[in-house]
Amino acid sequence: MQARSRDYRIRAREILSGAPEVRDAVTRATRTFDTHRVGAFEQIDAERWRAWAEAVKSHLLMNLDDYLVEAEARLQENGAVVHWAERSSDVHEILGRIVEAEGVERVVKGKSMLSEELGVNDFLESGNVRVSETDLGEYVIQLLGEPPSHIVGPAIHRSVDDIRRLFHEELGTSLDADPDTLASAARDALRADFLAADMGITGGNFLVAETGTLALIENEGNIRISTSAPRIHVALVGIEKLLPRLSDLAGFLQLTSRAATGQPVGNFVSLIHGPRRGDEVDGPEQVHVILVDNGRTELLADEHAWEALRCVRCGACLNICPVFRQTGGHPYGWAYSGPIGSVLAPGLLGLEASDPLPFASSLCGACSEVCPVRIPIHELLLTWRERMVRNGSAGPFEKTAMRAFRALSARPGLFARAGRALGVVPDGLARRLPVLGAWSAVRAPLRPSPKSFRALWREGIE
Amino acid sequence: MRVGASTGPLARLPAGRHLGAMRAALFVTCLGDQFFAEACADAVRLLRHLGVEVDFPEAQSCCGQPAYNSGHAAEAERMARRTVEVFRESDYVVVPSGSCAGMLRSGYPRILEDEGEGPAALAKKTFELSEFIVDVLGVRDLGRGLEGRTVAYHHGCHALRELGVRDQPVTLLREAGAEVVVWEAAEECCGFGGLFSVKQPEVSVAMADRKLDTLPAVDCVTSADGGCLMQLAGRAENRAIGGPFRHLAHLLWEATGAGA
Amino acid sequence: MSREAILARVRAALEGRADVAHPTTFESWGRETQADPVEDFALLFAAAGGEVVRLETVAEARAWLADFRAAFVGVVVGQTVPDGLDLGLAVQRALPEEAALGISLARGAIAETGSLILDARDGRRVQLLPPTHVVLLARSTMHRTMADAFEAVSGDLGSAIGLHSGPSKSADIGQILVKGVHGPGRVVALIVEEELA
Repeated sequence: MQARSRDYRIRAREILSGAPEVRDAVTRATRTFDTHRVGAFEQIDAERWRAWAEAVKSHLLMNLDDYLVEAEARLQENGAVVHWAERSSDVHEILGRIVEAEGVERVVKGKSMLSEELGVNDFLESGNVRVSETDLGEYVIQLLGEPPSHIVGPAIHRSVDDIRRLFHEELGTSLDADPDTLASAARDALRADFLAADMGITGGNFLVAETGTLALIENEGNIRISTSAPRIHVALVGIEKLLPRLSDLAGFLQLTSRAATGQPVGNFVSLIHGPRRGDEVDGPEQVHVILVDNGRTELLADEHAWEALRCVRCGACLNICPVFRQTGGHPYGWAYSGPIGSVLAPGLLGLEASDPLPFASSLCGACSEVCPVRIPIHELLLTWRERMVRNGSAGPFEKTAMRAFRALSARPGLFARAGRALGVVPDGLARRLPVLGAWSAVRAPLRPSPKSFRALWREGIE
Repeated sequence: MRVGASTGPLARLPAGRHLGAMRAALFVTCLGDQFFAEACADAVRLLRHLGVEVDFPEAQSCCGQPAYNSGHAAEAERMARRTVEVFRESDYVVVPSGSCAGMLRSGYPRILEDEGEGPAALAKKTFELSEFIVDVLGVRDLGRGLEGRTVAYHHGCHALRELGVRDQPVTLLREAGAEVVVWEAAEECCGFGGLFSVKQPEVSVAMADRKLDTLPAVDCVTSADGGCLMQLAGRAENRAIGGPFRHLAHLLWEATGAGA
Repeated sequence: MSREAILARVRAALEGRADVAHPTTFESWGRETQADPVEDFALLFAAAGGEVVRLETVAEARAWLADFRAAFVGVVVGQTVPDGLDLGLAVQRALPEEAALGISLARGAIAETGSLILDARDGRRVQLLPPTHVVLLARSTMHRTMADAFEAVSGDLGSAIGLHSGPSKSADIGQILVKGVHGPGRVVALIVEEELA
């Protein structure tokens, strides 16, 4: 997937001015998700769960080599084929080999952000493989030709009316169809795809090293069917998705569900160990697990930013984020959006390709408070900002201004007089100046107090 | 820190009683000095009314947060070091801004890791104004000067999440007779975020609009943070809606009824 | 080879880093439960949109199933459902993709999440493709927590396990809840006090 993060501001502006209904839809959906999370966290000792989950993931990451080897051995014992991929081109090559060897013509997919990151659909379609996204939200955006707007709810930016019009054109439903009718039409179309597919592709929420258990959480059942009906199942799993033990999985399935949708657990969980066995009537004949690096080992080597690798992709930080709520995920220009997207992007895409995402935050800190694995998200945003500035992100004007500001601050008298000068800049001029102009283009001009506090203090405060 | 200057015994002393021993330095912050000067003057009046001897070290300037938050670590570090020096001798540092207080309390220990005791000592004695009144002075009842007023309270993010200041300002307003209304977006970010407001102005004001569009009809909107108030007031005036917006220090001084 | 390259990079990344100990085993801290785990299960399963039927004996279960299945054209029965329930005789057999009703036997259930534990040996399609799914559960196989349940099945994980905690549902169309998107839109947990086998 070609990241388009550099255009963040332009695309955010386009959405806010050109498609204001997106803001309403995203705000409504994320607030609903978050309300559910709050309720679900109130039923447990959430701080204890979060501290526990943080420790498990940190332990996993600090011993990742051992756990990767252990997971591989268990998967192989269970009859699964394990592949390793350093970057997206390796994943494409592995998929291409399976497609060719097995004569795969049709693929059904469960929602996978890693698949978005790796550009899997484009690759398969370029080889004339027909790919059907089967998560209802993913199906909608596949028909629209759009990337997902949210990790958990890919189509949250689209209203019922949008989907009515889309399904009217694509599936022939009426223009006043209710959501049940729309879902039913999608079900019929996709049921045929499930039964005709040669291969199911999914991500993986967790992979347990101790048992080789691949775990997937969902509500629709499409992942269950994608991993049950086609003769081949391929799972794309980031190397950070491992868990040490099966008992850890019991905690993570529940915590992730509570953080994502407020459920005790998603309505469907698949625990996959390998292909069907001799005495079974159905199930895939082959199970392939592709362990994907794609920049994760570099992030692991980063002594500050590695903590982002604890992420379980629950979307809680997107739901609480007041910045994300204004636009949804599209302006972030990448598979992972919102606060966690902005701390993963510099690590996985590099500083230049991900600028200005770490700056696309007011640093309100709400994300860090809700993260189920306690990633200090807003502190990592600051870390990336500092590195970007060191790397030349700020530009000459901002650098000079910041130096001047610092120098002035060392001379309080001068500092105060400079502050006073703001008050005498005429509005017309202010609008044309950097900083002041950006302020007053969308707000009333700054209005300093008639006298500074310093002056009042000297005069004496009664 | 001064021995005995904690919450317990002072809580029983009536408001307005001169305590003599309590001394606090006011850190007015850049925005306070230039844009909320009268509110900062009210903070002085209020603290004196509560028996605190107020000092204003004139060498103070900016805490460095604008540089810190925009990734200019070297500049932020120098400004932080300077601020630690300015307040080295103060018993308490009272800040009429949750954001700048948060910078002193959580930002400094992070950026001045190797600077010895100074930053930690400053962090320990720094308080946002309402926090100082409730938690240090132990005062909840300032008077009944806000009787019958309806007020919407905006929780600045840093006061709320870095300092844990949630109940203190609301308690003081309510005890003074104000009705603090339910505002569904009360704890959401206003979109100011320092330089964020000018680097991403479109998203920034969309965030302010969310606050303003959910704002109930009130006599005034208040907050411990001037930056947030500038953002909200600036946007409201641009759209010709809402307000008025007044700094918490004003209202708390009015609460005493002493200035009337 | 990618494997060696990735493992080498992981090892290099972890060189000299401080280890973090694995914490204590997960214990669902703070989760309040009823004295009877079946009560918890029933509450959660119903809250998630499922239906719960509780019966005392196998005979009652047999009668209930005979009555219930009469309304469905085309029934498919899981491989592990005991013969004693007489489903083989009167059922109009259908392929899972055509059946209106699927009947399965659960390996167990989890009270704290309201989940039925379904094994691939029962047949995957029977659990997923028919619009209505009835799952038989012997009370003795109810586990209080997910950790307990995983411990109990860990000796024999099979090729795949499904945890079903309610019907197939989605809110992807304008945040409005719809049921039966891909998997069963109606799911009934039939809990029997007696042993089923």
